[in-house]
Amino acid sequence: MSSKQYDAIVVGAGHNGLVCAAYLAKAGRKVLVLERRHQVGGATTTEEIYPGYKFTCCSYVVSLMRPWIIRDLDLPRHGYEILPLEATVTPFPDGRYLVRDSDPERTRRSIAQFSPHDAEVYKRFGQEMAELGRMIKPIIDQPAPDPLSRDPRELLRIARLGKQLRGQGDDWLFANVKMMTMSAVDFLSERFESEQLIAPMAISGIIGTFLGVRSPGTAYVLLHHYMGEIDGSFRAWGLPKGGTGAIADAIASSARALGVEIRTEAPVAHLLWEKGTASGVVLQNGDEIRAKSVISGLDPHRTFLKLVGEEHLDPEIAQQVRRFKMRGSSGKVNLALDALPELACLPGYGPHLQGGITIAPSIDYLERAYDDAKYGAFSRKPFMDVLIPSMTDPTLAPPGKHVMSIFVQYAPYNLKEGAADWPNQREAFGDTVIDTLSEYMPNLKNLILHRQVLTPWDLEQIYGLTEGNIFHGELSLEQLAFLRPMAGWSRYQTPIRNLWMCASGTHPGGGIMGAPGALCAQTMLSKRAV
Amino acid sequence: MGFDAIVIGAGPNGLAAAARLAAAGRKVVVLERSEAPGGLSAKREFHAGYSVPGLLHDEGLVPRAIAEKLGLAKQGLAFRRPPATYIAEKNGPGILLPGDTAGAAEAISKRSQRDAQSYQRLRAFLDRITPLVGAVLAEVPPALAPGSAGDFWQLARRGLALWKISRHDLLELARVAPMCVADFLNEWFQTSLLVEALAAPAVASTWSGPWSASTTTNFLLRECSGGESIEGGPPALVKALLAACRAAGAELRTGAEVQRIRLDRGKVAGVTLALGETIDAPLVLSSADPKRTMLKLLAPGTLPLKIEEEFLRLRSRGSAAKVHLALSGPLELTASDGRLDEAIRIGGGHVDELERAYDAIKYRRFSDHPHLEIRVPTVADPSLAPAGHHVVSILASFAPYGLDGGWTEEARERLGEAVISVLEQHAPDVRRRIVASEVLTPVDLETRFALTGGQLHHGELALDQLLVMRPSPSAARYRTSVPGLFLGGSGSHPGGGVRPTAGWLAAEAVLGA
Repeated sequence: MSSKQYDAIVVGAGHNGLVCAAYLAKAGRKVLVLERRHQVGGATTTEEIYPGYKFTCCSYVVSLMRPWIIRDLDLPRHGYEILPLEATVTPFPDGRYLVRDSDPERTRRSIAQFSPHDAEVYKRFGQEMAELGRMIKPIIDQPAPDPLSRDPRELLRIARLGKQLRGQGDDWLFANVKMMTMSAVDFLSERFESEQLIAPMAISGIIGTFLGVRSPGTAYVLLHHYMGEIDGSFRAWGLPKGGTGAIADAIASSARALGVEIRTEAPVAHLLWEKGTASGVVLQNGDEIRAKSVISGLDPHRTFLKLVGEEHLDPEIAQQVRRFKMRGSSGKVNLALDALPELACLPGYGPHLQGGITIAPSIDYLERAYDDAKYGAFSRKPFMDVLIPSMTDPTLAPPGKHVMSIFVQYAPYNLKEGAADWPNQREAFGDTVIDTLSEYMPNLKNLILHRQVLTPWDLEQIYGLTEGNIFHGELSLEQLAFLRPMAGWSRYQTPIRNLWMCASGTHPGGGIMGAPGALCAQTMLSKRAV
Repeated sequence: MGFDAIVIGAGPNGLAAAARLAAAGRKVVVLERSEAPGGLSAKREFHAGYSVPGLLHDEGLVPRAIAEKLGLAKQGLAFRRPPATYIAEKNGPGILLPGDTAGAAEAISKRSQRDAQSYQRLRAFLDRITPLVGAVLAEVPPALAPGSAGDFWQLARRGLALWKISRHDLLELARVAPMCVADFLNEWFQTSLLVEALAAPAVASTWSGPWSASTTTNFLLRECSGGESIEGGPPALVKALLAACRAAGAELRTGAEVQRIRLDRGKVAGVTLALGETIDAPLVLSSADPKRTMLKLLAPGTLPLKIEEEFLRLRSRGSAAKVHLALSGPLELTASDGRLDEAIRIGGGHVDELERAYDAIKYRRFSDHPHLEIRVPTVADPSLAPAGHHVVSILASFAPYGLDGGWTEEARERLGEAVISVLEQHAPDVRRRIVASEVLTPVDLETRFALTGGQLHHGELALDQLLVMRPSPSAARYRTSVPGLFLGGSGSHPGGGVRPTAGWLAAEAVLGA
């Protein structure tokens, strides 16, 4: 029995839980973070799965980490360092390839081989997107506006936001409405003509969703690709030094410096109840720890159906929780490589291997990959986002050796044989990924020293991501903003008194962003809830 | 000779617009390219002695308020309860779904008590949001960027309508509208046959499947608009509208295809007919589809590039085919033991089968197992065929406008065969009863009925092409960027189907101007 009294207990030491804890501690609160695993970070993790090789097992790039959080928590001093991602290469079956990198001229020439028109448009596209993004930015850095609210203060805030938007002019407004409602392919096709450009650009609209590149609502996600530029830095994407785990370590170190207590290997069993309100947690070893408030860094399903327990939920709420769609759609294959692989279309070991390698040769290819998943099978020809982090950060592998991170979509959690069949299909899935990639990297197979295959089912087992959803719930229109995670509960508060939520299942959602954690802490402090 | 206004197209929208303008004292002429008025709602003899009452089946969309303002009741328009729809099922009894909630719930309860209750709760939800959705469907779409006092007044009234609906329902509406209709219906029902049948109308002749995001919006827009059928079918609506036009003094000219909308110093001056004749008027209201009106009927180079782009970008791909059969006897479905059904739906029995039918068009193929929405108009009106004979009107989904290899005679036959073999699985004798048949591919629909892309809605139904975005930002409120030119067809808000709403609202916009 621990008698120590905390102001807040954060369940789960993912990056959002840690950010939330740090902000509360910064405000002088006494905070305890409880983590089930042996290390902090949750899905923001670097692990030595194979001796000498450090894998960024789950999330593998960072673009959205909010600059104000980096400043507030003084993360650089705690080891936060982002190495810019130089380029993106998209190889095509016909031996041609598309390079988009930091050199506008090289990019223009590469696109021009498919369409001179597109090469010209592309130059302006980043700027256009950055301008469109002006609407998103205030929204992801604040709690979600609730247009259906009947609270005069909220309505006033929305009126002000509306006035701001009006000021942008009609064209800008219509462009934004289209952005929010169109499919990535339709949106891009209004500007570009060559599939070789549209397909690899469209994928950023579907990563982590159970949607196809032609599904309405996917265009909006394209914006996130350009948030980096909106934040004023030139490149949108980067690799954390030491892998994404280093980000979690930096936040954890900053949090500790602010007085946060972090316990790993301390799995929480359920909430501790007192007169129908949360008064702490009960660990799996039976220990009870009390606190004024409990903050869940788990996804909405886990929070309400496991931590709280359905028996404590109003049936209406329970139904809303169950209707919140998790259904993971992606997997991860991580490789330890004996040497650098070569691209058939681009032999040699040039800087092109330092960036992302996108396997998205055509729109039909992506749609077929999606169709497989719709009917409960992993894609026979999946979309893949490939990185060789050791090219940018040599400390991740022994000298001359390399680690490769392969993000794979689609891999539906719910197979037609049922999710529990994933262990039987895991290796077949891994083989499909390697075989498909080998079509573009002929020598890959001979270089593999170790292969880690993470299916959605594994992501659920190991990292506690319900149904393996990497964003704690689909980023589809009906699960965003004031509807995330539930209509009426988008402000980090939950229907259970003294229980709060601070992770990707809340506004503004997934990705290594930190905003949910910070906004949750700020909301709690402003409401004097802690 | 001159007129105050020229209306292009004598479909329900064009006629409603003409009647409204004429009633307001304008000298109006309606120009119809084909020999008979009615557009897609015109009675059509597809084989000697056999006729279909128009191409469209969805006649449950006419707002009573507008019908009354047009005085259509006086002209003989009568509503009736929609016919029961028989949802056929492979080796099963299927579901005979009556047009009324209680009856439908009763029928569903034979399959699942839970679904029967869900159906009643769903209808109750729809009834609660209808004051809002229904109103939006019956008036000019709100301005995205309100400018005039009128705009604000309209928003205020909508705001009031919002206020009347409980916050709970509003949040639910906001949650479900962007969802795919399969997810939405699966939340309510467990009977897969029912889910597919309810989902199908929401994706009919759109470029989306039941798993496409935001198709729930299409579902809500349909389910919240009246739902009453028309006594005598679509042609009866045309008849009443023609009478209203005559009563108001609007002139109708058939066989008068407009080739060019003439401008004078940037303003509308009239039209030139295909035969060279010119007709003058300072105002043209077109119920032809937006792409045709803005990109074909206007002289090339008339529009500023930015506006022209809006219309070039408008997605208008047909995704369905029509098949008409003349039968020497009734259409007898094995499972409906002797009962003659007026409305029948044949799918794969699961919403995924509907999605598979859609998958085909993504790859420029047509579905080998199309989803069939069937009407047998001769059940209600035997006069459409010789005594004892019947006609069958089928909307087959999905078949793409841009078919790989093009719509050759051979491709058309394969499509017809695919439709008949699906039908045959449920009505074994249908094949030997066929006296004649007609297959209309999206390309046929384009050439015969002047529908760009063979798009039956004059523009795909998608979130970014609805309401303030329909057909395009610059023309969403019927007035185009060309002075004197208005759009008032299915391509404008509130969209296609057998209804005069867009035409009526466009006329209102003209009179407000």
